[in-house]
Amino acid sequence: MTQENRSGRPQGRPPEGDSRLTRTESQLRGPFLLFFISSVIWLLAASVLGVIAALQQGSLAGGPFRDCEILTYGHVAAAQHNLFVYGWGFNAFFALNLWLLSQLGRFELRNGWLATLGGVFWNLALTYGVVLIFAGNQTGFALLEFPREVGPVLAVAFLLAGFWPIVAFARRPTGHTFASQWFVVAASFAFPLTYLLAQLLILWQPASGVVQAIAHSWFVSNLLHLWFGASALAAIYYFLPKVLGRTISAYYLAPVAFWSFVLFAGWTGPAALIGAPVPLWLQSVGVVAGAMLIIPVIITAINFHGTLSSEGGWSRAWNDTTLRFVTFGAVAFTVFGVLNAIFSFRGYNAVTRFTSFAAGQEQLLTYAFATMVLFGAAYFVLPRLTGSLWPSAKLVHVHFWSTALGAVASIVALLVGGWENGKQLADASVSFQQIAKSTTSWNTVLTVSAVLLLVGHIAFALNAFGMILKSSAPASAGRHD
Amino acid sequence: MKNLNSLLAGIFLAVAFPFGALVVSSQVQLGSLGPAPAEEGGPLFPSREPGLAIQGRAVYVSLGCVSCHTQQVRPAGQGSDIARGYGVRASVARDYVLQKPVLLGERRIGPDLANYGARTKDLAVVHTAIKHGGQFTFLYTGAKQEVASERAVALAAYLQSLRQDYSSPEAKLKK
Repeated sequence: MTQENRSGRPQGRPPEGDSRLTRTESQLRGPFLLFFISSVIWLLAASVLGVIAALQQGSLAGGPFRDCEILTYGHVAAAQHNLFVYGWGFNAFFALNLWLLSQLGRFELRNGWLATLGGVFWNLALTYGVVLIFAGNQTGFALLEFPREVGPVLAVAFLLAGFWPIVAFARRPTGHTFASQWFVVAASFAFPLTYLLAQLLILWQPASGVVQAIAHSWFVSNLLHLWFGASALAAIYYFLPKVLGRTISAYYLAPVAFWSFVLFAGWTGPAALIGAPVPLWLQSVGVVAGAMLIIPVIITAINFHGTLSSEGGWSRAWNDTTLRFVTFGAVAFTVFGVLNAIFSFRGYNAVTRFTSFAAGQEQLLTYAFATMVLFGAAYFVLPRLTGSLWPSAKLVHVHFWSTALGAVASIVALLVGGWENGKQLADASVSFQQIAKSTTSWNTVLTVSAVLLLVGHIAFALNAFGMILKSSAPASAGRHD
Repeated sequence: MKNLNSLLAGIFLAVAFPFGALVVSSQVQLGSLGPAPAEEGGPLFPSREPGLAIQGRAVYVSLGCVSCHTQQVRPAGQGSDIARGYGVRASVARDYVLQKPVLLGERRIGPDLANYGARTKDLAVVHTAIKHGGQFTFLYTGAKQEVASERAVALAAYLQSLRQDYSSPEAKLKK
């Protein structure tokens, strides 16, 4: 990868693209927009549910939604979680990963209808699953709540919608590869494997007793690291050098980052089971893997922050919409990795266990890191695909500030609130009622940040949909040849 | 990494190897556990759940109770579970062998329920707790929501069946 550089392309830097809409991109347009539009709709739905869940969490009686069976916290929280992950996270990365690998491999998507079909199946299955959650039909395993008949449909839909990046990689015309490509191939290949095995052992042929919980922890950590993590890292490796117009610093370390990330991520699951009735050796493996994950975190930090640190990179990143979001995500990933390594150790974990701390870490990974990178990518890709500009600069500002503030506030509330909560839980003389009372102020912060996130997402949706509508208007219909 | 096949093979191993080592090997280690007596000739624990409790578990799952309640007691030294009265001993894998699905839980927005049945004998208290001050009164009918529906009766039976207060070969209680 490093030796072969005959085309004169600088190392650690994606190839220069054409500024006009390329043939590759015009073929992508249909499936890309389907994935993107559905992802934003799901994101809005998830944020509305997020506000409802935040209001409920502050009150034992269910807040404004008391005595309403459909909107009990157990339904709302499960639906919100699934919509955010499978509705937003998957659709958006289907779109971005496909675009990225088509760009990097100059891939022409001839059978776009297959991807579109996959997208339709994916979203129909998701809708069905969420309706069933509200109707009271769920399995009790986080992120596998959908009744088991939904699983196979989602798996087939994934193969139709999410497998194209691997085809694009296989058909690339040059031998040269770039870091983004490895990460996307890993995400597209690891997820279906993980999902099918988890479905089988948890829902179809349930393993005995606590082995279900072990399989579940393995599934969740793979989903978060290898889908969200790997896909978003791929995007940062692409956009940083692309927009800044320079090479990734210490790019020769990137393969080490890739392999150490893929290698250790799969073992981190049992760290979520410390203290649970599962074998001790398993818990220790999870702790060690969580600590080892610091290796790719350090390397990506050198790659990303090193690239940003030379020649006024930070200020340029701040003044470019795409880079502002992507840089936010890059910093969030470093913070996530460091926290993850520290808090997987038993002493700290005994305090934070069963509190909102784990939700804070997940929010850091899936929102502050992955979602912010996705937003940044949208600001780069959409104008190219639609041939028009973002309608409102004001809405872009609203989008950045409310999502950035909302993300930081919610993460601080979940992490610090979780830590305080854990300290009280560890002291048996503090009653459960007292603990519930002292979390009230953090719940207020969570509600405010949920509203902020919703406002930011509405601003983003208005801007994006306005742009897509404008581009499909007849006046500009002839622009895509 | 230029070769797709070796890239995919590497990723496959990175997924499959942890799966084998973490999941399959724990199935080998724990898969054959069943109810057992703590001492020779003693009663078998965990005991089979009554039919009503099995229905109640379905209600528990469908309402998403697991998003706020755990069902596991950590050993002394990790948290204050035993001091808090959540159990008399740490939970062990054998306690869960008859449960489908296993609902260990990840958040304690509400208290742990692993031994709810052992600590709550009064049925009226159970029903008051299920109502959560108003959030779950839809499970009850009557002018003052005093008549429990079939689902509430099943849920109460399930909650009262939750107990890990027996001796088990891995966790013997001190006499």
